[in-house]
Amino acid sequence: MNLLQPERLDRLAREYALGTLHGAARRRFERLLREAPLTMRVVAHWQQRLGVLASSVPAVQPRELVWQGLQQRLFAGPRRASVWQHLQGLLAPRVLGGVLAGVLMAAVVLRLQPQWLDLETRAEALPQSYVGLLVSDSGQATLLASSRRHGRTITVKVLQPIDVPPGQVARLWALPRDGAPFLVGEVPAKGSATLPLTDSAEKLFFTVARLGLTIEPAGGDPRAPAGPFFASGHCVKLW
Amino acid sequence: MTAPDDLGALMARVALHDRAAFERLYRATSAHLLGVALRILNSRERAEEVLQEAFVNAWNGARGYNPSVATPMTWLINIVRNKSIDTLRSGAGERRTTGALEDEALEVRADPHLEPQHLLDASLQRAHIDACMAELNAQQRQALALAYYKGLVHSEIAQLMGAPLGTAKAWVRRGLDKLKECLGARGVAG
Repeated sequence: MNLLQPERLDRLAREYALGTLHGAARRRFERLLREAPLTMRVVAHWQQRLGVLASSVPAVQPRELVWQGLQQRLFAGPRRASVWQHLQGLLAPRVLGGVLAGVLMAAVVLRLQPQWLDLETRAEALPQSYVGLLVSDSGQATLLASSRRHGRTITVKVLQPIDVPPGQVARLWALPRDGAPFLVGEVPAKGSATLPLTDSAEKLFFTVARLGLTIEPAGGDPRAPAGPFFASGHCVKLW
Repeated sequence: MTAPDDLGALMARVALHDRAAFERLYRATSAHLLGVALRILNSRERAEEVLQEAFVNAWNGARGYNPSVATPMTWLINIVRNKSIDTLRSGAGERRTTGALEDEALEVRADPHLEPQHLLDASLQRAHIDACMAELNAQQRQALALAYYKGLVHSEIAQLMGAPLGTAKAWVRRGLDKLKECLGARGVAG
């Protein structure tokens, strides 16, 4: 069945935009959206039409703690945030010129790397994550992959150096339960790396059962693995 | 609400990770977005969680926002609705189920003006397509309203309205076809 057939695509797009598309069909369509950006246009048309229906929904002011929590999640831990706000209130409006403010801002931003703060504030419990331990055909642990549930990066740690011939690359693939594998990214032959994801881990890995590694020519087709999986493992939810 | 072009300018700055612009975007849109989430989730707490999650996505994904595809408000509503619908269907909110009924949920049920069909009527009037949409019968309108405002799927709509599944699907489809036609006739998102 061709999902990209215009009539069928329009039917799926409007059901997706409205929300009546559900379950596995909804996840499959979301994957299609990522893989075929053209489909996003069709969906966007429907979202724009349906947006008209939102105009009469009465506004409800969120409690201030929603914004505070948002700031904490994105920018800072609670203690540091108050110091920053304090400094900003004291200095920014009157005393500091643009240059000094810029320097201060850069320093604070550098200090407030969200991932550091996440480590600090959530040190006691492992964060909700998707985790995969990939084992080679010979049974050796080869790669550890982890991604925070709502994060947009995946961290890989190569446990056993991968023998990557010149002109080739090692690629990490996700294997959904009910669909074709999709490319997560290229992994280094050794050491660790953080790879960007095209969407949140939750969206991408929700239906993924396994992860697999291939060696293939650099610049190969990102839509399908070109070689056999030399290492693979379950993709599990850590929560 | 801020004028659409202002939101567009804010989005452009948010894409560059301008925090002040992000706060203005939040202040300008969060109340409307919470309203949308609340209609679907019927719980202030769950709706606020979804709202916060949606703005985390907006901050991280602003670079991917394309003004030629959607207005900022449509883009944000879409994030909020999708998250609300996912939350509703995952049953995630039920982990906190207590005996106490939430005031907000009661309010929603008690006020007929917050019922889906009233929201639909009011929105259609605002968009000046109420006359065109009047060609739909009451059931077709209600089915569309339940799907959009409450995030219900066809089987739930069928059950609620006491109709066979195929009939409920046809009502929704007819409602969407008509919406497209009426907006197209007015030159909106045709």
